[in-house]
Amino acid sequence: MAENIPVELPIVDIWTIINSILVILIAYLFIRAITFILVVISERAGQYRITVKMVIPLLKFSIYGIAIYIVLKDILHLGSEQLILFGGLLGAGIGFGLKDLFADIIGGIIITLEKPYQVGDKVKIGDYYGEVSDIGLRATKLVTPDDNLVSAPNYLFFTQAVASANAGAPEMMVVIDLFIDSDSDSVRAIKILKESVATSKYVYISKKRPYTVLMKDFPFYRRLRAKAYVNDLRYEFEFESEVTRRTWIEFSKHGIKAPKVNVMEAGTLSKAG
Amino acid sequence: MNSDKKEPVKEMIGFLDEIAKIQTAIADFECGQNLNIAIISEPFAGKTTILDVIEKMNSEKVTRLSFSSIVKSKEDIKIPENSKRVVIIDDCNFLYERKIGGFENLEYFLRSVVTSSNIFITTWNLYSWNYLDEVFNIGDIFPVQIKLPKFTKDQVKESILSKYEANEIKFEEDVEFEKEKVFEPRKFTISIKPLEKKIHIPYYKLNYSLLKVRLLKKEERVGIEELIFEKIQRISNGNPGVSKIIWNKSLEYPIIKPSKINDVSFNIDLDYKESFVLFLILSMKSINSDELSEILGPDFQVDKIIFRLSNQGLIAVDDVSCNIKPEALKSIADFLKKLRLVW
Repeated sequence: MAENIPVELPIVDIWTIINSILVILIAYLFIRAITFILVVISERAGQYRITVKMVIPLLKFSIYGIAIYIVLKDILHLGSEQLILFGGLLGAGIGFGLKDLFADIIGGIIITLEKPYQVGDKVKIGDYYGEVSDIGLRATKLVTPDDNLVSAPNYLFFTQAVASANAGAPEMMVVIDLFIDSDSDSVRAIKILKESVATSKYVYISKKRPYTVLMKDFPFYRRLRAKAYVNDLRYEFEFESEVTRRTWIEFSKHGIKAPKVNVMEAGTLSKAG
Repeated sequence: MNSDKKEPVKEMIGFLDEIAKIQTAIADFECGQNLNIAIISEPFAGKTTILDVIEKMNSEKVTRLSFSSIVKSKEDIKIPENSKRVVIIDDCNFLYERKIGGFENLEYFLRSVVTSSNIFITTWNLYSWNYLDEVFNIGDIFPVQIKLPKFTKDQVKESILSKYEANEIKFEEDVEFEKEKVFEPRKFTISIKPLEKKIHIPYYKLNYSLLKVRLLKKEERVGIEELIFEKIQRISNGNPGVSKIIWNKSLEYPIIKPSKINDVSFNIDLDYKESFVLFLILSMKSINSDELSEILGPDFQVDKIIFRLSNQGLIAVDDVSCNIKPEALKSIADFLKKLRLVW
C-alpha cells in the first residue's frame, strides 16, 4: 500500500509575491526594450532585416524561461518534491482547461525552434494572410494588407497548413495577372509587360531570382502572367499596382485592349462549367 | 609632366594586370578569337583612363566612340563603316533608360556587336552593368569582364604624387589631428513614428585608420605622409578618382595636414522614391533632370527630389546635369545596397 508522504509547501508571503511579480515585470520590460532595439537594428540591416528579427522570439522565450526558473527556484525555493507537486498541479490544470494555453506555448516554442515562419515573413495561417509582426508566448501576430492586427493562436501550427511566401528571405515572388483582348498584339503586350516588370523600382532580379512573363489563351481572351520578385516583401502590393498601372498606360498607347466585360464573364462561366 | 613623351603604360599607375588582359584579348582577336571586353567600375574609378591608355597603345587599329549623355537615336551608335578593327566605346551605360521602351538602343547596339567582325572594348558603370547583366544577360556578349580593383594606400599615394616634383608637397602634423580619437562620438537617430519624434542616441564610431596606426604598429611613430594617404584611401574606399578629389579639396598648396582631410559621414535620410532617383543618378553618374523626368514619369516630383538630394550633399547640380558627389559615393552605394536597389 502506497504511503502518503507529506510535502511541505513553501511559505508564500507578500514579499514573495512582490518579488515574483517584479522578476516577471523586469523580464517583460527587458523583452520590450530588446525587441525595440532589435527592430530598429533590423530596419537598418537592409537585406538582413528578417535574420535580425528571427532572434526576437528566441530571446523572448529564453528570457521568460529564465524568469520562471528564478521565480520557482530562487524566490519560491521549490525543492524536487515540490516541483513534482507543481508539475502534478500543472498537469491537472492542463487537463481542466489550460490545455489550449499550453498547446499555444508549446506551439510557440516549436515555431521558434523549427522556424516554419519567422518575424517579418509573409504567411497564410488559416484564413489570414499578412506579415508576421510578432511571435509571442501564446499567439502569432499578423498585420494583414488592410492593416488589421490578427492574433493567430500558436496551436494552429499543429492543425493547419502554414504557407510562408518568402521563407526567411527579404524578397518574395509576386504574381501579376493581366487580361487582354484576343485581337490585341500579344507579342508586343508580352514585351511591354516584361519591360514594365524589369524597370519597376521595386523589382529584384538575380540568377536565382529570375523573372518571367507567360501567356495563356482562353476562349475569349488572353491572360498574361508576370512572375517576379519584389525586393522587400513589404512592397508586395505597391509592386503589383505599379507594374499593372504602368503596363496599362503603355498598352493603351499601342492599342492593346482589355477583354470586354461580357467576354470575361463568359470565360469565367465556361471555366466553371 | 608631358605625357606624350612617355610610353602610355609606363605612366599608368595600377591597373597593369587589367591592361595586360585587354592587350591579350586584342592579340587573340588578331589570331581569330573574338572576345569582346567590358571594363566595369563604379564612377570615378578610372575606366576612361584605361581606355585612353589602350587607345594610345593601339592607335593604329582603334576607333573610339564616347557617350556623355543618354543616347536618343540609333544614328548615334552606328559603327562607322570605315571603323578600324578595334572599337572602343566609353560609358555604354548611356545606351539605356530604365523605363518601358528604354532598351531599344541597347538592343540595337548589342545586335550590332554580335553581328560585327570587330572587337569591342566597352566601359560600363558598375551599377548599370549589374542591372543589365541580370535583366539582359549582357555578360554573354562580353565574355572578358574586367572589374577594376580598388587602389591600395601605396597606389593612391603614387597616383596622387605622380604629378608633383619630389619634396614639392609638405606633409605637416597639426594640433587638430593629435586631438583625433580612436572612438569618435556620433549620434544615431531613431524615428518614433507614433509620436512623430526623433531620438538622438550618442554612440562612438571606431576610427579604423587611427586604430591601425596605434595598435598594429604598436604606437610606433608612423610617418605623417603614410597616415594621410591611409586616411584618403579609407575615405575614398580605394577609388582613384575620389582619392584625387579628396586630395585636391584638402591640399593647401604646398601643405597638406591630416586634419584638413574631411572624413564626412553622410546620414542619408530619404524615402523610397528619393532613393530610387538617387540610384538612377548613381547608375549613370551624371544625368539631367529632363531625362530623369522622362524615365520616372508624372508620379515623381523630380525637381523636389533633386533639391532634397542636393540638400543632403549627395549630388551636385549644375546647369546641365545632376552628378553624384564623389565624397558621398561610398555612403550612397552602402545606403542603396541596404534598400536592395543596388544589386
